[in-house]
Amino acid sequence: MQRAGEAEDKRRICLRPEGPSYAAARSRTSSSIYEADSVSGRYQHSTFSFERILNEFSEWYISCITIKDSIINQFKILKQRGKFFVDKFMRVNMTTKEISVEPVPDKYAPLGGRALTSQFVLDEVEPTCEPLGPFNKLIFAPGLLSGTNAPSSGRISVGAKSPLTGTIKESNAGGVASQKIANLGYKAIVIEGQPAKGEFYILKITPDGAELLPAGDVAGKGGYETVNMLKEKFGPKAGVIFTGPAGEMLMAGAGIGINDPEGNASRYAGRGGLGAVMGAKGLKAIVIDAPKTFDVPVADKERFRAAAKKFADILLGHPVTGQGLPAYGTNVLMNIINEAGTLPTRNFSSGRFEQANEVGGEKLAEACNARGGKATHACHPGCVMRCSNIFVLPDGRHMGSLEYETAWGFGPNLEISSLDDVGMMNYICNDVGLDTIEAGVTLGVLMEAGAIPFGDGKAAIAALEEVGKGTLFGRIVGSGATFAGKVYGVTRIPAVKGQGIPAYDPRSCRGNGVTYATSTQGADHTAGYAVTANILKVGGFVDPLKDEGQVVLSRNLQIATAAVDSTGLCLFVAFAVLDNPEGLPAVVEMLNAMYGLSLTGDDVVALGQSILKNELEFNRRAGFTKAHDRLPEFFYTEELAPHNTKFALKEEMDELVNF
Amino acid sequence: MQVEVRVFCGLEKCIPGARFGQPLTVEMPDGTTGYGLLEILNIPRENAFSLLVNGAHQDFNEVLAEGDRVSIFPPVGGG
Repeated sequence: MQRAGEAEDKRRICLRPEGPSYAAARSRTSSSIYEADSVSGRYQHSTFSFERILNEFSEWYISCITIKDSIINQFKILKQRGKFFVDKFMRVNMTTKEISVEPVPDKYAPLGGRALTSQFVLDEVEPTCEPLGPFNKLIFAPGLLSGTNAPSSGRISVGAKSPLTGTIKESNAGGVASQKIANLGYKAIVIEGQPAKGEFYILKITPDGAELLPAGDVAGKGGYETVNMLKEKFGPKAGVIFTGPAGEMLMAGAGIGINDPEGNASRYAGRGGLGAVMGAKGLKAIVIDAPKTFDVPVADKERFRAAAKKFADILLGHPVTGQGLPAYGTNVLMNIINEAGTLPTRNFSSGRFEQANEVGGEKLAEACNARGGKATHACHPGCVMRCSNIFVLPDGRHMGSLEYETAWGFGPNLEISSLDDVGMMNYICNDVGLDTIEAGVTLGVLMEAGAIPFGDGKAAIAALEEVGKGTLFGRIVGSGATFAGKVYGVTRIPAVKGQGIPAYDPRSCRGNGVTYATSTQGADHTAGYAVTANILKVGGFVDPLKDEGQVVLSRNLQIATAAVDSTGLCLFVAFAVLDNPEGLPAVVEMLNAMYGLSLTGDDVVALGQSILKNELEFNRRAGFTKAHDRLPEFFYTEELAPHNTKFALKEEMDELVNF
Repeated sequence: MQVEVRVFCGLEKCIPGARFGQPLTVEMPDGTTGYGLLEILNIPRENAFSLLVNGAHQDFNEVLAEGDRVSIFPPVGGG
């Protein structure tokens, strides 16, 4: 399908693939893509050029926001006229216990989410600092559209230097916090300094201001109890951001939890050990009391409402975001990743697990419905994709959402095929405050070491229960895969820059392999989710078993993702936007209507690239080089069944960050 | 010839008695394509999106072979 102005759009896009990879990619010439027929509205296969696909990725993204000087100036002028509601910047000094609220600095005015957290961390955090010391800073930032009724726009970015990787970190989560913070007018909440050891506090934020309160008996409590206690004390509608016992004990695998609309302690900014940074700040929880969710003022209400409605229709009209995700959740992936032979099994020893179906999305949906949970659930108010769920344990406890990467990490990765065992492990992680991906990869490494047996669900559960007790073994489990592997002398540690590799084996999903190796975040599947084009045939097709095109694919996705992570939109909107020519304009229209701007796609590259450049610069100053942009050795030397392929890309990947 | 077929994500509802992910042995004439298999299984073309044959994407117009492991999916995404 041709779209109006396509030729002109292409001229503007600077993300042209270059070098040998591009030449090879061009020679492929065409790919199958899933696209809506403009006449019938039915989705069907059609044929597209590889170049077109790449442009689609870049184009979408950039249009979201730009940070060229003229835009910054526009923001500045609007700000001076008092046009912005979300105009406050809160700093909480945990050393002095002082809270200050200042106007948003001009340079941060056009930024949100990841664009803001990464710029701020580069500006204010010494790259060589101790991540768990007083000089690291933790920043929470809603996305640019958060707090409005833009569909699926309630994501929050959390940034700091990571104790797990030593790199910059942006961890992204749903839950109710982002919209509440935005509706109180805060662009960001920054946590600085450090209290005396053993002191823990609650930061309470209301429409009247903020105060630090002693955590009292909430300190040391698990996630579920923490949320319940704080909601009892501060009201049933309070939003709670918390760290669990693992974070309080400064374990590098700890995440930061956020309650979902039902109050389950189940949404996590999981990756990178930011829960330990929160623990090191002596901050047990942030409680947000905001009476409003969707009421951040927008410049042009009617225009915004129309764009938001159109965008919701686009999401609901696409079979992935409108049907597959609501029905089966993210775990809908389990079977297709398994059938494609890229499901890491037995600590990345095989690409297929014959019992994968037992822990897949279809089985999960059945279990949720049979036990009074929910197979379809929104992780934050106003999400129309509703890919979350509420899994209920056999004893009736509501666990919260079981996601694909979690089901993989505690399932096939450990050769465990009991959904209830997987659910129990997820529950323990939510409660003790661990990133489920890092925990799953760590358990795989410990099984590789022989510390616990492969396939033994009960032993895996017992290992995770040690974390909350703070035993030596529990601390090993909670400290991440790389540390655990070193303790036991394991050489097959699936991690990059200290962070565990998630649920897609890089040998047979090579685009994601490039992302794992080169991401500024350490191994991170969402940083450049090449599974789309490698396996799912969304946004084109690039053969997952070949090297051609993977570096370019990953680069464009990483740039695009950095931009999406700045809007507050869930990354999953990409599934629909990539297939619908009206998707991108709808996103741009929402931003323009909200801020009274005239954004175009001109500086897409500048935006996404600028975020990555900031992150790369921080990492460079922290001591990272291209030598760190490699996969572990065994991916280059061991073949993966069933395709019997190895990973081969090395120096070719160095081109990725040359922009 | 025979192929081993798995269907997922609701496509199993097109086949009486089938369950998602359970292997079905399908007997069919030599030369049957992916689309031909959909007809045999009573799965509407518009409901099927990905055809994986022995772990690799294959066009629905291509001919299947004896003993193939065939997996059929509607559009899916997540992550």
